Amino acid sequence: MKLDLFDDVEDMIFHEREAAMSMPDMDMKNGNGDSMPRFPKNTPLAMAYVPFQQWGETYGDDEALSRGTLFPQLDLPFAKGGGGK
Amino acid sequence: MNERNMLLGKIKKYDFTLKELNLYLDTHPNCRRALAMFRKYKELRSDAAEEYTRRFGPITPEQVSDSRRWTWVDDPWPWERR
Repeated sequence: MKLDLFDDVEDMIFHEREAAMSMPDMDMKNGNGDSMPRFPKNTPLAMAYVPFQQWGETYGDDEALSRGTLFPQLDLPFAKGGGGK
Repeated sequence: MNERNMLLGKIKKYDFTLKELNLYLDTHPNCRRALAMFRKYKELRSDAAEEYTRRFGPITPEQVSDSRRWTWVDDPWPWERR
């Protein structure tokens, strides 16, 4: 998951709107023309969605305790610089 | 004293990992890998706790095993801690 998305929320919203409006030219970069927009077609608007966590990498128990989470995917320090000790 | 803190630190670490796995397993009850990790850390934790209590006494009251004395009171009380 690209953390820098969080740096520019306006950009993220703009990107979402772009993705929703311009279905066909959505994300042509990776070549598969029919790449799905971020959400399934009939996803109702104005609803919040939280992607379901999949089992992935885990920190070692030392690092988990200091980072405050076992899962790097969930290690999302709110502070811009991140990880204020 | 260092050995004691080191062991306590290990128990704390294992408890934290177990709690994280617990929270994950609550929403992913069939995840084999999380379950395997939970079993592993449960064992690590109980070994560390067993060693600690054998050498330094109970961490929690129900760990008192001495049949002659209630050793729970022998632990340094909070205000007695250096």
